[in-house]
Amino acid sequence: MTSITARRHRAFYMFTAPWIIGFLLLTILPMGFALWLSLTTFDGLSPRWRFIGLANYRELLSDPVTWDVLGRTGLFAVASVPLSILAGLALAVLVNRPVRARGLFRTLLYLPAVVPPVGVGIAFKQLFDTNSGAANGALNLFGIDAIGWLADPYARYVILMTVLWSAGNIMIISLAGLQDIPRELVEAARIDGASAWRTFRSVTVPLLSPVLLFQTVTGVIASVQTIMPLLLSADATTAGVTSIPQSNYMYMMHVFAQYFALGRYGYASALLWVLFVLILIVTGLIFKATSGVVFYNVDPEAKK
Amino acid sequence: MRAHAGVPPKPWPPSRRRFLALSAGGAVTGAAALSGCALQVASGVSGRGETVTLMINPDDLAPELIKQAQKDIGIKIITVKYDITKLIAMMTNGNPPDLVRGVGAVDAPYFIARGVAENLDPYFARSTVLRTGDLDPVNDVWRYDGTTQGKGPRYGMAKDFSQDSMYWYNTAHFDTAGVAYPPDTEPVTYEEWLENAKRLTRRENGRTAVFGGSYNGLNKTGLLANLTAAAGGSLFSDDFSRLDFTTPEGRTALGWYIGYARAGVGPSLIDPDPNGWDGPTYQAGRMAMSNSGYWLGGLINADPKLAELSRLAPAPVFPGGPRLSSCQGGTGLWMTTKSRNKDAAWRVFEWFFGEAPAKARASGGWGIPTLKSLRPLMPAAKDYQKRVLKAQEAELKHFSVVSFTPYAKVDGLDAVFNQYAPAAMRGQISVDTLARHLNPAMNDQLKRGKEQVG
Repeated sequence: MTSITARRHRAFYMFTAPWIIGFLLLTILPMGFALWLSLTTFDGLSPRWRFIGLANYRELLSDPVTWDVLGRTGLFAVASVPLSILAGLALAVLVNRPVRARGLFRTLLYLPAVVPPVGVGIAFKQLFDTNSGAANGALNLFGIDAIGWLADPYARYVILMTVLWSAGNIMIISLAGLQDIPRELVEAARIDGASAWRTFRSVTVPLLSPVLLFQTVTGVIASVQTIMPLLLSADATTAGVTSIPQSNYMYMMHVFAQYFALGRYGYASALLWVLFVLILIVTGLIFKATSGVVFYNVDPEAKK
Repeated sequence: MRAHAGVPPKPWPPSRRRFLALSAGGAVTGAAALSGCALQVASGVSGRGETVTLMINPDDLAPELIKQAQKDIGIKIITVKYDITKLIAMMTNGNPPDLVRGVGAVDAPYFIARGVAENLDPYFARSTVLRTGDLDPVNDVWRYDGTTQGKGPRYGMAKDFSQDSMYWYNTAHFDTAGVAYPPDTEPVTYEEWLENAKRLTRRENGRTAVFGGSYNGLNKTGLLANLTAAAGGSLFSDDFSRLDFTTPEGRTALGWYIGYARAGVGPSLIDPDPNGWDGPTYQAGRMAMSNSGYWLGGLINADPKLAELSRLAPAPVFPGGPRLSSCQGGTGLWMTTKSRNKDAAWRVFEWFFGEAPAKARASGGWGIPTLKSLRPLMPAAKDYQKRVLKAQEAELKHFSVVSFTPYAKVDGLDAVFNQYAPAAMRGQISVDTLARHLNPAMNDQLKRGKEQVG
């Protein structure tokens, strides 16, 4: 028995070794290094940097820009995550119906999600250019004056549009979830006289809730780390990052600017660590808030 | 970007076999890129067959010239695209490039004060290619004596330069709008320039069909330092450890630039040009005046029709202010102190600034040569080229260096401006309020930088 257990353990560690080594070298080590940097005035060049303890963290708390970007990022997450989940779910429900050429629609709706973000940035920049973009061309057709889409106050809507545009990503996952819902449950509900909406609300959504939770958690994590504002900016460089419209100046833009426009490696590392801890807290809160609501067919915490 | 260079285009979708080949190609190139720094270490052996790494932009040196270098001076040149993040990474891991691109006017003091740039005075003293008597005064942007730019040892050299407060204009737009051309050798005032820009701007349905004039300098803080000097003051204190926008001259400079943005006559923070620079918009005939120095002629001369219509005008002045026309760029190369092969790097430096590439640049019209002896190569075959050259030669009499602080990166100071200025440009806050926001935030950076530099 013991030898089998030992062999099993050995096999486990051998098979997971590539991941463990990668995790240590590419995740834990850089994070530890960033933690150390966050306690210094390192600027990448000057040999006269020094250890300053928690001064970067103290400065961070009193830096109005940090609070502004946190607020904007939170607002963006609160606006973009539910919007994209709703849009993705709606699309999934539509293409889950027995319509003609449904495979074609699924493919077309999913296609935008395959375009790399850099490509999305370029395409949207051209579409929404004030003087030569198609969006203003369409407005002009209806006799409406052109709008400076990529500047404040409209830039925030363009970025929401980029999020919605790639809702196909969420659609695919929701669609997989929908197809997993046992048909007999839906049929039973309909036989009992439930309306389509009631069936959707009381059968489909609860059974889909683990998928929705997954999308919420990964969506929030992705949205607070978004670099889309930079990809939409006229000058997407280390120098240009600071000139993006203020309404799109989100947390990662602040981090990027502090690292590369200002050369403040210490302060920027502190910002990243704070974001990391905040993400942990928010994720924990989401799990806690939804623990009684999410329905699992199989107990996720089942014993070994 | 995926590393698929060298793979001939094939119809989409690729076969599975081809897909695998592509992926493998990407992996190999990726691996080569990862170990690139290690491969580029110079041999350390003097003589022929050496390797020197240049961190530059692709436009800085044509591939043919790199091949020619191997024949001319027997040194293999490896280029790495300029990127501040990569530069810091290479320096941190102990494999810095030998020569690095930099914008002399604003980068030089920053890097030199941090002790990463090599003092090149001993090399200049020995050189027969780059004689100090032949150096144009613009190369002084690469001098630094520990406090002031423009004095002390040389740490680099400019590859070419322009007087960046000058502007080009398209006479066709002036004719259409019935605006008189600005004189070739006498400056207009900044107010007159802005008035002209307003009259030249053409709008349709909220779109700007023709921008009357663009005036943004090479960077915001450099531009504002220049405008303040043109108003007769100085943005920075004498020791460069503080700046002040609330002085009468600083206020004039800031007020004019915010007024320019409010007028909506050209690209600005609140109406950015999607190209990031004036070139394409001017080329498309959608901009009447562009604040760019002589170098824009490189683009303009490529299109004879546009060149015939285009003229170069002197830097504007403020009423009562001095006439000065500085260089906000002076882009060139500096040598890293940790370079492994300084003699070979210097040989490449000499070649880049005094031999084949320098001659190619001088005759291309993308800037004024930085060696006086190369001036006769500037393009002057056509009438329009002669006219531009005459205006440029007259302007050189007013050349000056507006020194920049060593204590902060220009991008860092610009960040503060970019944060507060849009509100002022939209008229939500006054110029005085803006000045009061800018002073403490920018001075904080200077203070921190001064502590860091020591």
